[in-house]
Amino acid sequence: MSDRRAGDGVVSPDAVGELAVGGQVPNFELLDHAGNRRRLSQLVGGDPTVLHFYRGWWCPKEQAFFRRLLALQDDAEVAYSRILSVSVDSPEVNAAFRAGLGARWTFLSDADRQVQTQLRLRETTDTLNDPYVPAVVVIGPDLRIHAVYNGYWYWGRPTVDELVKNLREISRALRPDWEAPTP
Amino acid sequence: MSRCWLALVDGPAHGADAAAPARTLDGQPAGTLAAWNRAAKPVREAVRVDGRLIDPRGSAAWISLVLAPSGVRLAFDDLAVQYARRLVLLHPFAAAVSTLLRDDSHFEGAITVVRCAEHRQRLRDDPFARIFPSRLLAVQAGILGALPPPTGPTIERYGSANPWPWDQFD
Repeated sequence: MSDRRAGDGVVSPDAVGELAVGGQVPNFELLDHAGNRRRLSQLVGGDPTVLHFYRGWWCPKEQAFFRRLLALQDDAEVAYSRILSVSVDSPEVNAAFRAGLGARWTFLSDADRQVQTQLRLRETTDTLNDPYVPAVVVIGPDLRIHAVYNGYWYWGRPTVDELVKNLREISRALRPDWEAPTP
Repeated sequence: MSRCWLALVDGPAHGADAAAPARTLDGQPAGTLAAWNRAAKPVREAVRVDGRLIDPRGSAAWISLVLAPSGVRLAFDDLAVQYARRLVLLHPFAAAVSTLLRDDSHFEGAITVVRCAEHRQRLRDDPFARIFPSRLLAVQAGILGALPPPTGPTIERYGSANPWPWDQFD
């Protein structure tokens, strides 16, 4: 894996496909878990966002990593931050998986693999499922990539602490009143 | 800050920007659901609503209208209200949802809108109806639109003067 560096973001040795720090995620449009067509920029809105690409509900590594995101969810719900999870599973499968997890964020379906192809994120070692290679990027409202994590090997995935650090850094730059108003 | 007001009124909705007759699910008249876009409260019973939910071109819908009983108020940050917002995110999203407010610190109710007949049953499991009583109503076309589902998992308001799930700082 090459050490990519771009823009002013965090340096990461784990660029994946077309996702690299300082780059911008394309403003793709996909179906959410309820079958609504959603555009990335509208989903991100004005908040820092964890954008998570995963293999599918069937992968034990993904099930374990989702438990991490569920732990983050309890902080994110009061921290003006968002989470998105993207897979090649259908909206119906995503809806069932999301409900089983107890996730309260949006799941997106790239069943025709257009975004996967655009981002060069097909996991070539799994020719049965043609899933996403696991990856996490943390982005700002302009869809610029602040941090990227290659999760092909499980330990490449971000810890909750790393995600909190990334979300804090984006929030600090984003919120004009980050420095608390004091007398 | 939301400047959109909503009320279920018995008589005509004077000066409303959108209004439509409402009926109970067994067909009895239930008044007029009306909305106003203005700074000042238009009628005594009006509460502030997410303005995106109001659409004069919107089609007929079923609603769960949860309103605090007269003289009863609950802090918006009460754990019960937080939990209801979590459940809204967890469940399949309705056509539109908005909490209802009069001031910046109290939860005064909520409106949940569905259009698909098979979703109507979900109104009977409205999370906000665990807090205050709900009325299930059929509302004619001319007032209720649709909202994109919140991205999640945020349950906080973007400024206390805005209803949830309004999702950006002004």
